[in-house]
Amino acid sequence: MPTASSTAFAPTRSVGDALLNRNRFRILGLTPDDIIKYFFNGNAIVAVVVLALITIFLFREGVGFFGKSQRDLRLYRLAGLEYVDFIRHEVDEHTAMTRDLNAARLAEFQKLTAEGKTPEQVTAALASFDAFANAFGDSIEDVRGTLSDLSDVAIATKTKARVNEDREEQRDMLLSAGKKEEADKIEIAPVNFAAETGVMKGTLPAFRKVNDQFADKLGAALQSSPHVADPKFQAKIDAVHAKARALIASLPQIEKNMENWNYDAPVPASKAVTSFLFGREWLTASFWQDWYGIVPLFVGSLLVSIIALAIAVPLGISAAIYVSEIAGPREKGIVKPYIEFISAIPSVVLGFFGIAVLGTALRWLSQTPALSWFPGFPMSERLNALTAGCLLALISIPTIFSLAEDALNNVPKHFKEASYALGANRFQTIVRVLVPASLSGIISAVLLGFGRVIGETMIVLLCAGNRIAIPDFTQGLGAFFQPVHTMTGIIAQEMGEVVKGGIHYRALFMVGVVLFTLSLVINYVAQRIVHRYRISIG
Amino acid sequence: MKLPDTAPMPHAALAPPEESSTMIEVENLDFYYGQARALHEINISIPANKVTAFIGPSGCGKSTLLRCFNRMNDLVDIARIGKGRVRIHGIDIYDPDVDVISLRRQVGMVFQKSNPFPKSIYENITYGLEIQGISDRKRLDEVVEKSLRGAALWDEVKDRLHTSGLGLSGGQQQRLCIARAIAVEPSIILMDEPCSALDPIATSKVEELIQQLKGKYTIVIVTHNMQQAGRCSDNTAFFYLGKLIEFAKTEKIFTNPSQRQTEDYITGRFG
Ligand SMILES: Nc1ncnc2c1ncn2[C@@H]1O[C@H](COP(=O)(O)OP(=O)(O)OP(=O)(O)O)[C@@H](O)[C@H]1O
Ligand SMILES: [Mg+2]
Repeated sequence: MPTASSTAFAPTRSVGDALLNRNRFRILGLTPDDIIKYFFNGNAIVAVVVLALITIFLFREGVGFFGKSQRDLRLYRLAGLEYVDFIRHEVDEHTAMTRDLNAARLAEFQKLTAEGKTPEQVTAALASFDAFANAFGDSIEDVRGTLSDLSDVAIATKTKARVNEDREEQRDMLLSAGKKEEADKIEIAPVNFAAETGVMKGTLPAFRKVNDQFADKLGAALQSSPHVADPKFQAKIDAVHAKARALIASLPQIEKNMENWNYDAPVPASKAVTSFLFGREWLTASFWQDWYGIVPLFVGSLLVSIIALAIAVPLGISAAIYVSEIAGPREKGIVKPYIEFISAIPSVVLGFFGIAVLGTALRWLSQTPALSWFPGFPMSERLNALTAGCLLALISIPTIFSLAEDALNNVPKHFKEASYALGANRFQTIVRVLVPASLSGIISAVLLGFGRVIGETMIVLLCAGNRIAIPDFTQGLGAFFQPVHTMTGIIAQEMGEVVKGGIHYRALFMVGVVLFTLSLVINYVAQRIVHRYRISIG
Repeated sequence: MKLPDTAPMPHAALAPPEESSTMIEVENLDFYYGQARALHEINISIPANKVTAFIGPSGCGKSTLLRCFNRMNDLVDIARIGKGRVRIHGIDIYDPDVDVISLRRQVGMVFQKSNPFPKSIYENITYGLEIQGISDRKRLDEVVEKSLRGAALWDEVKDRLHTSGLGLSGGQQQRLCIARAIAVEPSIILMDEPCSALDPIATSKVEELIQQLKGKYTIVIVTHNMQQAGRCSDNTAFFYLGKLIEFAKTEKIFTNPSQRQTEDYITGRFG
């Protein structure tokens, strides 16, 4: 080494070379540092681009739904299906009442049989009721006839319009292929909606008469209604009475609606959106009219998620508290990997288990007489929201557990020490210091668990019962034991069998968009909460 | 059972430095972390209502001994007592019949890093009472005021009692922790380097506070700051490699230590 005095003003050669190394190892002009940087950069960019493409694709395919749906709804009105549905709703309401009466009769029948009466005695006891129920059921016959006649007309109109649409499409295809002659050969006779619906509306005076007769018959049937001894039975009959009276009272309004109905009234542009977001019916491949309302699916997803979280949150968080605060190192070494192992079970296997074991076991449990006081018991279906919810809980426990445990472990040790030093016991320390200090972490654990559950497909498809209907919440807790269908389930089930680009296909994509948005929001909120919490602790 | 006051001490130098009733009595204490022995044969009698300073190089076991006094070491899985006794008020605190919870209420602790709970100032103080089941609002209000006055913090925070304790300055937070410790009315307060994260002004406030508190509480303070030990303690114990080397009146330790190692350490000629 040269002495300090001799090199006071210039760096030594070797140091200078090291600082200005111009002949470092390079590939294509890139140093190893650059290569590493671009490698990771590239990976990140690929991930971002793929995600963006997926999002764009999802939205592009989905948004087209609204245009198609709008046209569909327009045709629904033009062809007069909407008009016929006024009558259909009337008939449906009546049918629901008849069903109520039948259910009431069945209950009474079982009760009487259980009391030891012979079939003859039971039939005798129910004779006056049966007479009433028959009169009640028959009262609608003429209305039903009208409905069926008009349905035929409307469907015929709709079919014509559909055929025209297809031909138009065909012609456009030929034109764009340059085959003008062939295209000209295709005949398109425009449908005269005014005339077709005019015929239907012309039957309104006749329908008024039919409706009046219906009201009379129904009123007479109600008059003949017997008084029964069993108060429960009587209450059910009374409920039907109330509904029937309401129906009779609403008849003039129905007729008025039909009178005011106009095939040409414009369908507002928002109708497609509202009928998707707030539509209570998801009905496909119907001879009459398809409906793509997401509400039953959304409610189904929400219901199973609520059940799953109601089970998984207490279990997951308690397990996290146990592992992070109570368990010794050995128990920790057993419990933690075990819980985390659950997430390694393929969900289809859990689905099998749900069908083969859990569903049956739960139903068996619900049938034990000791539990019959529980609302909704015994369950009528083996596969229902509860079955799926229990399994989804299992799926989300590892997520909730791991994240909640992290949150608890992240609470600075000195909070815990301070609490113990003040004479707190373990329980007090956990409840008053550790959990509050990690609350935001725990909340985001729950949210991410929720995200996990709402996106799960296989289990709900296999175990939720797949009935597309909003559960009957008037049954209180019983709503949890009804079969439901979910947003994920419907996509998985129907995507395979739809025509690409068709309205049904696009509707499924829209469901996907809703699901995607929901997950995004959940994740975003969870991250915000964690972020806030980091700031407040750090 | 031997009476603490008459027990013969193994080394003359380690006898209680003055006539005073003994609050904490450590007898032949060996302490291990796993296989590693952190304390060797410690014998010390800490007098009541005095300030006792623990000094010594890093890693010599000061904190370990301090944490033996309120059994905070119970929280460390691998920690265990090899042999020996720790008596407080003459009671062996490692006796199975001893209730750790009540022990810790008697022996308060202030940590090196101020650690108020992420709760309001008020809730920080009342925490120790609430876990005892005291919820009478009037009583709590009184205790909050008394403890904050005791910790010389009242005037600074009286208008913001319900704001977060984490919003205070470092020195204020440390005094809040002291207020929290005295709220449960312990007889002993253990302080593990309470000023190491504070600036000189905040430090002098805490030192003043220690002076005010010492009439009512027995205080044991761990410090790396020789001046601080000199300023605010009555007796000083010097530890080295897990052993108690010397325990005497503070003036004596700083002016005329009887052990060579002590002298080297306080004059900075250590190592
Ligand atoms: N939790 C623990 N686990 C294992 N060993 C520990 C633990 N805590 C302390 N020790 C060891 O015990 C010895 C004494 O540590 P202690 O913390 O009591 O020292 P100290 O005198 O307080 O040091 P400092 O002045 O740096 O705070 C050290 O060798 C340390 O490595
Ligand atoms: Mg220490």
